[in-house]
Amino acid sequence: MDVKQTATQPQKLMIFVLTMSLYGLATLFTELNPHFQVGVVEFSVEYFLFIPLTLAMLFDPMSAALGASTGELVFSEIMLGQFGGLGELEKFITVTIGVYLAGRMVKNPANRKMVGIAAMSGTVIQLFLGMVVDILKVQFAVEDFEAVPGLPQSVFATEGFAFLNDALFSGILFCLLPTLFLVPKLYGKIEPLLGMQPRTGKTALGSINAKVIVCCLAAFAVAVGAELLATSGMPLIDWEAGWAESGTALAAGIVVAALLAVIILAVMRKNAAAPEKS
Amino acid sequence: MEKMMRKLSDSVLDKLSMDFLRNQVLKNAYGNDDTFIAARDPRVLLVWYVFFALVPWFVSSLPFLLGCFLIVTVTTLMARVAGLVLLLFLVGVFSQTGYLFLASLLFGGNGETILPLLVLTLKVATVSLASITVFSGLDPDRLSNGLMWFGCPERLSFSISYAYRMLPMLMEEFQNVLLSYRLRGNAPDNRTFTGKVRYLIYQIKIIIHSFYPLMLNTAKRSRTTVEALEIKGYRYAAVNREVKKMKLSSLKVTVDDFLFVAVSVLGTAAAALVGTLI
Repeated sequence: MDVKQTATQPQKLMIFVLTMSLYGLATLFTELNPHFQVGVVEFSVEYFLFIPLTLAMLFDPMSAALGASTGELVFSEIMLGQFGGLGELEKFITVTIGVYLAGRMVKNPANRKMVGIAAMSGTVIQLFLGMVVDILKVQFAVEDFEAVPGLPQSVFATEGFAFLNDALFSGILFCLLPTLFLVPKLYGKIEPLLGMQPRTGKTALGSINAKVIVCCLAAFAVAVGAELLATSGMPLIDWEAGWAESGTALAAGIVVAALLAVIILAVMRKNAAAPEKS
Repeated sequence: MEKMMRKLSDSVLDKLSMDFLRNQVLKNAYGNDDTFIAARDPRVLLVWYVFFALVPWFVSSLPFLLGCFLIVTVTTLMARVAGLVLLLFLVGVFSQTGYLFLASLLFGGNGETILPLLVLTLKVATVSLASITVFSGLDPDRLSNGLMWFGCPERLSFSISYAYRMLPMLMEEFQNVLLSYRLRGNAPDNRTFTGKVRYLIYQIKIIIHSFYPLMLNTAKRSRTTVEALEIKGYRYAAVNREVKKMKLSSLKVTVDDFLFVAVSVLGTAAAALVGTLI
């Protein structure tokens, strides 16, 4: 059978739902668990990324990647009320890119070496993109970034250290080893449950080409743009300045208008409620 | 060191008590339907949220930021958010900026470093509290309806509803798998220091192992879910205008919603007025 491993639409939805619920559940735990710090090394059970990595290697990578990032967004951000608005787009996109690339790298899930390499590179890509965005974010959020003594170096140092720590500690313990354990074990067993053929070297989607990389870079640019818009907001600075200058009169006007609106609405509410009571 | 290790393994085990987590999450999702915030129109609340999530980043006037912070604090109290979520918020906000401050001290920062960081903390806190109000205070179904009205992808609102429905079941299943592994396993002796380390490793290993049956089970369940959705024509209904209109016809803006908006506008405008007067 030389047909490429393409899933039908319902199967894609199945993969999406599967990854979303599993990864969402896992991130919910990590979100609820406090992080331990022993000295400067942070021991966090941060990374359950092995779940979407495993599924992306076995199934359609795009659905698994989207499911993972949606699961994280819904379960650990929205359900716990920690939704960060536009800033969440960054994590969404970096997780999608990392998982997708790792899934595309594996042609034959039975090949353990490739699975290990892909798991590690997926994690490192995600962490690295996250670090770049974090540094840019602090650089734009704090005014006069360079003027605050000691801040620039400290941001680079902490972010760089966190990246290395995460990549080595969480990357190996919570991404590499579990993926190496799960992928061969699930291979050939989980696919029939979704009514699909297992992926082999022949039916893989094909290796990563220039198009994939360009798409990933474009998506990353969107992530950076969203993050910076969320923190700095270039186009709105003019708006802020004009609003601040016209100053007191305008603010007083808004206060009076709002006060009037509150009074009118309160009276309306009272009137609306009155007939029901009598 | 031994004390620290005990604290470490103890707090892992405490927090992994599934019942505790499940109760907190469910309480957060469905426990407070009768608050003033939960009764608001989701569309109005989302617009309100966008304002408080974006504006603080662009304004540096301290009175205005404090005013916004006060408003969102009051709304968070009104939404009666579960304790765990508030604790997570506090830990998140203070550990982040506190860590950054300590690091900047290391690189020759001084007392002056703390001022921009405090402003940053205030901004972050305001935005997070606004999101806690909206995403924890609202019923998940109403929230996903509101998001759908603004044209969010159907996948997202489906994920939110699905997540809230499936989460209790998934958690229970995970707990069962975990318990059966524990019953059959032989946990290492955890009286000595090395034993404690081995015990911790054993726990983590069990968690990773239990994802193997969990993945298979969830795969079966997601296939059932998707097939049930297909029978009802979900993928066609999702993009159909008529269906969407029918689904959203329950949304209604009342006088109370206007009142809520007016009071918020009054508060922010008053804060801005104070800012210009000083």
